[in-house]
Amino acid sequence: MFKQSLIKAFLVRFCFTAKMAANGILSNVLRSALTVLGVAIGVASVVGLMGIGEGARLNVMEQFESLGTNVIAIKAHDENYEFQPDKAGELVQRVESLEMATPVVSTDTTMRWRRTTGEVYVLGVNHQFPEIRDHELIAGDFFTQLHVEQRSAVAVLGYSLAINLAGGRSPVGQIISLNGQSYRILGVLEEKGAGNANDIDNKVVIPYTTAQRIEEKRTVEEIWAKTASSKDAELATVQLGRIFQREIGSAPNVPLPSDGNETVEVEGPDMVMVEKPVPEPDKADIPTISRDPITVTNLNQLVDEIDQANRIMTLLLGGIATVALLVGGLGIMNIMLVAVSERTSEIGVRRALGARQTDLMTQFLLEALYVSLIGVICGIVLGIWGLNIFENYGFQTAVSFDAIKIAVVVALGSGLLFGVYPAISASSVPPVEALRRQ
Amino acid sequence: MALLELNDIHKNYLNGNVKVNALKGVSLSIEDGSFVSIMGPSGSGKSTLLNILGCLDTPSRGSYRINDQNVEKLNDAALSDLRNKFIGFVFQQFHLISGLNALENVELPLIYQGVTGKARKEKAQAALEAVGLGDRLYHRQSQLSGGEQQRVAIARAFVKNPKLILADEPTGALDSKASENIMSIFKNLNEEKKITIIQVTHEKSIAECGKIIYHLLDGEINYIEEVQAH
Repeated sequence: MFKQSLIKAFLVRFCFTAKMAANGILSNVLRSALTVLGVAIGVASVVGLMGIGEGARLNVMEQFESLGTNVIAIKAHDENYEFQPDKAGELVQRVESLEMATPVVSTDTTMRWRRTTGEVYVLGVNHQFPEIRDHELIAGDFFTQLHVEQRSAVAVLGYSLAINLAGGRSPVGQIISLNGQSYRILGVLEEKGAGNANDIDNKVVIPYTTAQRIEEKRTVEEIWAKTASSKDAELATVQLGRIFQREIGSAPNVPLPSDGNETVEVEGPDMVMVEKPVPEPDKADIPTISRDPITVTNLNQLVDEIDQANRIMTLLLGGIATVALLVGGLGIMNIMLVAVSERTSEIGVRRALGARQTDLMTQFLLEALYVSLIGVICGIVLGIWGLNIFENYGFQTAVSFDAIKIAVVVALGSGLLFGVYPAISASSVPPVEALRRQ
Repeated sequence: MALLELNDIHKNYLNGNVKVNALKGVSLSIEDGSFVSIMGPSGSGKSTLLNILGCLDTPSRGSYRINDQNVEKLNDAALSDLRNKFIGFVFQQFHLISGLNALENVELPLIYQGVTGKARKEKAQAALEAVGLGDRLYHRQSQLSGGEQQRVAIARAFVKNPKLILADEPTGALDSKASENIMSIFKNLNEEKKITIIQVTHEKSIAECGKIIYHLLDGEINYIEEVQAH
């Protein structure tokens, strides 16, 4: 019974204190509203800026993911290390998780279509390319293995290129001239969007064997391989990395002490698994090249790295906005100090009537908290509204819950923090002192 | 037994750079149920004495016992509770809280006692009716005359049934008619409710409403006068 009445007494006291705090805010509506606005602007800038950053990050992510995260690109940066076209099939044999692979030759050449001439990017690949890079055709067909083996003069056009040339009519069956030779157009690829998927929309795709003829070489500079999933791709990237590390050690222009080992390695289809019996080439024998002549890249890694960078960017934006939020907090402190000095005499009367120091401290802390709480709510609404406007201008945005969390914690935290000093100063005014002042 | 006992109370404070000896060894004891007036010219220390009696200020030296407790030994919470339960204050400037109406002002001390809703309202209403303000319950400070404000303040002081009411120049800001009214309320509280009243004033006629007058001069009790007129 006694304990219950104590709790009741405490509640009565607390509710009244909470009410007095609310009265405090209402006693000067304009001033409170301005303080709330200060906090709200801080919160809105955190939510808004981080939302814009987050939107930009997602946008970049989508672009990268359109390239396919289960695709591995193996690229030679040095002519001496370029691949034989057979290498693609060989790698699929050696690395279990690779499903298929295509040699890639990229070049640019002159193109003529009826009376139009211009430069065009040409991509030479094999018949598996649409599957590897997830391309659909909207007209005609892709070239076949036979076309590749016979070095046929056939071409598939990217979407934008086809539209620009044929102006809406299907160019399938027409003839296009590349590097002075006539190619029959077999099909048109589906649109991927400007800048996406290596800008395939603006390219001409032909068999790599045919492209080698334009380039006048027997090797290819790149191999694209595909795995079943992006997780497999990460695994395969590691395996491929090991394979090429070994092979670089025995590249034609680099003398290596144990030539025998090398050939065994390349020949054996199960070599990947048998690692222990093969002595690793001595580190000292690997020529120090400033850049790896062959790089094995899985988009996942790239995406992760870029994503990381973008996240940091977003956080940075949030950090800058947090400064605005802290300034809002200072506004609270300022207004609370004014309120305390204005109400000194009231504080004295309340003390005389039996208010404890803790009552007054609670009252002023609550008052600061109310202001920051209203500020937080207004700020979130304002921020989301701002993001909507931004979105209407065509930018991608995202309401980030991280941002809201940060804003809420920092705003309420700074409200409390900056409320503490005024609250303490209110509670420590001696009652006589407070009564003496009018 | 004495309700209050002051023993050799000194109070010094700094006014700018000047050290002021407001009280220089005041000793007095006040019985339960008495009506005491304190008089003296300005600067004689009468307000300082009243603040110390009300536990609003602490003496620099000396001991003060109220209701058998040594005030020096109490912490803030205990002092606050003591002020809340035993002492009612009436000030010259009334000091009502501006955001609250008359009823809410009178409810204030009860809130700090933890009295809830209906009981609190009834008590406060009864107190206001007792000072003749039954029709002014929901008026705010700005809608009340000086005399009415002071009556609200008195209702606020006695609503909790204190042992002691301390009044600092309670009629200082009022005309003579309102002053008379206030004094009759005080007499009533003293006689009917047996509440001890201590008031500071510099008006002889007001002081004589009490039964005993302490005359202060330069921080010391100059002489004590018994009022015969009653």
